[in-house]
Order: sequence, then structure tokens, then C-alpha cells
Amino acid sequence: MQDFKNKLYHYEAPPPEEMWHQIARELNNEKVIKIHDHRKNKFVLYAVAAAVSVIVIFLGSVFFKKNSNPQFTSRNQEEQHNLLLAQKIEDSVHLNQQILKSIINSPEEKKEIVSKKANQSIASKIYLTVAGPEGQPVKISPKVATLIISADNGYPPKPVWSQEIREWQKIMLSSTVSPTSANFADQVQLAANKQSDDKD
Amino acid sequence: MQRLLYERFSSKMYGVCLRYSENTEDANDVMQEGFIKVYQNIGKFRGEGSFEGWIRRIFIHTSIEHYRKKVKLFNVTEVSENTIEDDKLNVLDSLATKDILKIVAELTPGYKTVFNMHVVEGYSHKEIAQILDITEGTSKSQLARAKGVLKKKIEAALIKTK
Repeated sequence: MQDFKNKLYHYEAPPPEEMWHQIARELNNEKVIKIHDHRKNKFVLYAVAAAVSVIVIFLGSVFFKKNSNPQFTSRNQEEQHNLLLAQKIEDSVHLNQQILKSIINSPEEKKEIVSKKANQSIASKIYLTVAGPEGQPVKISPKVATLIISADNGYPPKPVWSQEIREWQKIMLSSTVSPTSANFADQVQLAANKQSDDKD
Repeated sequence: MQRLLYERFSSKMYGVCLRYSENTEDANDVMQEGFIKVYQNIGKFRGEGSFEGWIRRIFIHTSIEHYRKKVKLFNVTEVSENTIEDDKLNVLDSLATKDILKIVAELTPGYKTVFNMHVVEGYSHKEIAQILDITEGTSKSQLARAKGVLKKKIEAALIKTK
């Protein structure tokens, strides 16, 4: 540093004598001279921060536990339900396959199966009762057994069934109206048909 | 404690006030304002750097603030820096502090502030630009002009002494 810079930098001059009194007066007027102890402040700050963190973590864990438990249990229930459903489907598929194989391989056993499933009712002679994809009893004509066995029985079978059934429904809807006993006109038509059959 | 602090630093800080101010009245105002700030903010001193340096910065900022209230300085007209080597100012070394101070005090407020901050206090142009809210270019041009004026004043002073 050049000398003149030093001289200027370290230049000192005594302030006027009354200067301190003015400053003191000003300070007394303000009376707000806070000399903070930084270490103390920091300690307080850290303590507050730690306390807040603990509270937040505690509340968070309580809230999370509260919210997550029902989800967890409902998820468990859902999983259990799915497992049961899958088991049922598997059972029904297995049963279906067993029944259908029996029907196809030995038509003589039809009556036995029918009697087992349908308590030897008259209808049992007309229909076969098989377990549906979800274990529900489904009455089918033995004639469609081959059709069913040819359908895909892979997992999940229900959509295949639904698809098949939808297709059958379409076929039925597109066919001519079949007479029902609830309709008087149908009964008349049925009687007429019967008469014409008798004549033949 | 306040009195002790005042006694310890008052002469040095009054010197700073005089360097940045145009007259003793302004210097007194800055001195009073500066010490009040020191007492009010003493808790903010973190022990980084020297305590004297911290107080000095308070006084420099107070001087600048004080001056800003009075005059709108620092037009941002930037001129190409007419660089005057510091060597040219070496002649100041031969003068007494009072005379140097007198010559510097004759500078216009803008020149004087930038000269004091850069040459005496050692602030960079970037720092000066930030503190005074001007561009670095303006700070440089103000300094160059200040040096030019000083050179003329020194020459005039030397002629007088001869």
C-alpha cells in the first residue's frame, strides 16, 4: 500500500467532546439496546427446532399409522378375497373338466353324474348340472358338452364363459321367436303346431 | 461498556467520517448515527474478521447512506476509463496527512466516495457497484475521474508550496 493510502486509512481525529453525550442521550431515548448472546440464542433455536421435529415426526407417524392401517387391512382382505376367488375358480374349472371328461369319455356315466348333482330329479335327465366358473350350478344340455370342452378353460375362465354365453345369446336373439307358456298367442300357436303335427 | 467502546474507536471512526463527509457537521451526524448502529447491532457481530473492520464497515455504509439522503450522486454515465496510474499519485506520499485529506475532501462526493472505497479501503469495483447501486463501469470511470482531478489538485498544491 502506498504511504498516502496508509495515512488516509489510519487517519484519526478526536471527535467533539459533546459527541458522547449526544450518543448517550440518543441511546437513553431508545432504551432498546439488546446485546444478544448468540450461543444462548442458537441453543434455544436448536432446542425449538428439535422439539418441533419430534412433534412433527410423532404426529406424522400417528397420522400415517392411522391412515395406512385400514388400507393395509383392506388390501389384505382384498388379497384374501382374490385368493379365495382364484381357488374357487380353480376348483370349478377342475370340476368342470372332470365332469366334462366323464361325459365325453363315458356317456353312460351321465346319469350317475346327473343324479349326484341334481338329486335324481326329472330335470336331471334332461339337463346336466355343472359348476360354473365361480362355483355356481349351471344347467346345460348334454349336447353342448363338446362345445364347452372345446372352449378355452384357461385362467381366468369367466371371460371365456361370458364370451361364449354372449355369443349364444346373440344366436338365440337372432333366431325366430320361440313360444312361451306365458303368452296366450304362443299357446295358440303351440296348439296349432301340435295339431298340425298330429295330422302329419 | 458502551462508553469503553466509544473511547476505543471514536477517533478512528471519526477519521473515517471526515474522509467521507463534506464537512464536520455531516461527519458528526454520521458519527452519531454510526455508533448508535454499532450498539444496536453489536449482537450480530459473529467474530468473523476483526471487530474494528466490522465497525469500520458500519461507518462507511452509514456515510454512504447519509450522503445519499442529501444528494443524488452517481449518474450512470460511463466514460472510457482514463487510466491514471497510481504512481502519479505517489506524490501524495510526500504530503502530510492533513494536506492529503484536504485535497481528497475537495473531490466531488461521487469521486471522493469511490476513491475512498477503492483506493483507501480496498473495495473492488464489483463491491462498490453493489454497495452504491451503480455499474462496475461507472465505479471505474468515477475513480479515473477522481484520480485525474486529484492529479491536477496535487500539481496545483505543489506549485503553491514552491
